[in-house]
Amino acid sequence: MKVCVSRFDPARDKSAHFATYEVPVTERMTVMDALDYVYENMDPSIAYNSHTACHRRACTRCNVIINGKPGLMCHTEIEGDVTVEPLPRFKVIRDLVVEGL
Amino acid sequence: MTDVLVVGGEGAGLRAAIEASDKGARTTLVSKGRIGKSGATMLAGADITLDGKSASKIGLPGNENDSPEKFFRDILIQGYHLNNQKLVEAYVRDASARTKEMIDWGMKYVWDGKRAVISQGIEIDRVLVDQVRKRPITVMEDVYITNLLTQGNTVVGAFGLDIKHGVFVVLRSKAVVIATGGWQRAYSFTSAPEGLTGDLHAAAFRAGADLVNMEMVTFCPNAILWPPAFRGDIFPYLLVEMFGDMLDKHGQPYLREYDQRIFKIATTTEWNKLIFCIASTRVVKSGNGSPGGGTYYSIKAVPSNIIEEGEKLFPGWKWLKTNYSDLIKWLREGNAVEVAPAAHYMESGIRVNEFAATTLKGLYAAGECSGGLFGANRVASAITQILVQGGIAGASAAEHAKKTSLEEPDQEQLRVIEARLVEPFERKTGVRPFELKRKIQRIADNHLWVIRDGAGLKQAVDELESIARNDLPRVAIQAQPRTYSKEWIDFMQVRSLLVVLEASARSALMRKESRGVHYRSDYPETDNNHWLREIVVRQVGGRMTLKPSPVVVTKTRLPRGKFGFEEGILNAVKALGG
Repeated sequence: MKVCVSRFDPARDKSAHFATYEVPVTERMTVMDALDYVYENMDPSIAYNSHTACHRRACTRCNVIINGKPGLMCHTEIEGDVTVEPLPRFKVIRDLVVEGL
Repeated sequence: MTDVLVVGGEGAGLRAAIEASDKGARTTLVSKGRIGKSGATMLAGADITLDGKSASKIGLPGNENDSPEKFFRDILIQGYHLNNQKLVEAYVRDASARTKEMIDWGMKYVWDGKRAVISQGIEIDRVLVDQVRKRPITVMEDVYITNLLTQGNTVVGAFGLDIKHGVFVVLRSKAVVIATGGWQRAYSFTSAPEGLTGDLHAAAFRAGADLVNMEMVTFCPNAILWPPAFRGDIFPYLLVEMFGDMLDKHGQPYLREYDQRIFKIATTTEWNKLIFCIASTRVVKSGNGSPGGGTYYSIKAVPSNIIEEGEKLFPGWKWLKTNYSDLIKWLREGNAVEVAPAAHYMESGIRVNEFAATTLKGLYAAGECSGGLFGANRVASAITQILVQGGIAGASAAEHAKKTSLEEPDQEQLRVIEARLVEPFERKTGVRPFELKRKIQRIADNHLWVIRDGAGLKQAVDELESIARNDLPRVAIQAQPRTYSKEWIDFMQVRSLLVVLEASARSALMRKESRGVHYRSDYPETDNNHWLREIVVRQVGGRMTLKPSPVVVTKTRLPRGKFGFEEGILNAVKALGG
């Protein structure tokens, strides 16, 4: 499965670009699981909001754009290739982490 | 620069900040995440317990046959008498005033007919955040406090990382209130949010404060193991009170093996957490569990109309923010969901007195991060705990701030703290922080789970010491950006988890008996003759030391005698009038 993630570090990059990671798919894995896999096995620099994640749709801090639609990383299950981007109109701090969310 | 600094942005922290501000203190509230969206309160069911008589005095239907004295007595029975009775007195005394205030502030609720007001954690957070916003309270979010700043025995502020921007912050204050919740994330399977990693337990310990009852961890039985989106969700725990069976891998309902009275208590009273956890863990340990290391919950034998009746309690099969109708449909088709106990609530914590004061000057603690109130087993509400103790801590801190002047932080101390935190960026190779986090969680899962034993606990202590000595100095952060650095956050969590888990393992090893949520297969009896003592953990000369200490008693004499697990529960339920 290809996981395509919007990457952007304002300190170094002029604009955001997509990085693609090949992640082994497991039954009913979530977007958050896929990003955890990338972080632990492929790219330690990837940034996504998880440090106070509730995993119960209550905090809504893992809200991103998944395949073009807003969704929570912790509760969106993936089966095939997936594209993950930060919410639009928020200032990006790094990758999927934004100000004000 | 502030009078009172409150660390922790949910229930107890919000309530403490409100109180400190109302008492005239310049107040700053600092949270690791967003306020009202970072801790365990938002996931609570949630009830606020208070005795029926006091409830009727604040205009609720109440119950004239109940009394504060009965409520006090019941909390001690539930806590196996390990409770600090001064803390219980404060809880019972202030419960109704704190509840009334929440109702006046607009909290939506229903009265349960006995001893509780039922609301929801998100609603409680909404009301408290609203009150914080109405006051001149400075709020700092996404700031990870890692250390307390001290001068001798006095706390003069806190140090941390602004997570999003990757810069350190120094917060000077006359008093600090810790309200950071538990340390459930020491375990890999938990019902609690990611942020609960015991950071301020560790910081308080390093600064010289006492920890207490660190062996006491409540697990919530029957949390979902799979699918991943529902991992740690406790909904089946709520369902099993209504109907359904707990099954082993042979499809046999294992709870039926117990005394019929125990079975009834497990399915109809709040003692269910304790009974289900031990019963299901025994099944797993005997090799009769599910592939994922749990047991099964099934509603196959439940008639359709009974299930439909149950839906009235959870309209549309929705609870809090989650829709469970697919799960119910799947269960009705005859499937069984894999469930297991999940680390849920910490009776353990920072040792406080009835004024929420720790053993350090200027340092207070409130809510789940404090220890002693619920002894060896919590049944009464943790929401009442955050409201009552938050209020007390805020008032005490404001009072202390009035008599205190702001101190300059020790520059050498700041330099050392900072150096320790940035070290891993300077190593080119080494162990990654998340690998240590997983290693620590495996130790907790294997040796500090529901059923413990001496050999396993000893091994846990040895392994944790080895990580602290051999692995921690080798941590390397490979990713250089410091803005929202997951590796850096993991490193800070590892530092905290090592302290709390070692304190827990050493305490559990020292307590050679079973009591409440602490169950040892090599010492299965509760021994009131020798072990009605709190275990206090303190740093002396750089070393972790443990000392049994007398339980704080006010008016209820401590019981004597020894008894087994089932006998203990039967006696307790009898004493509670069940």
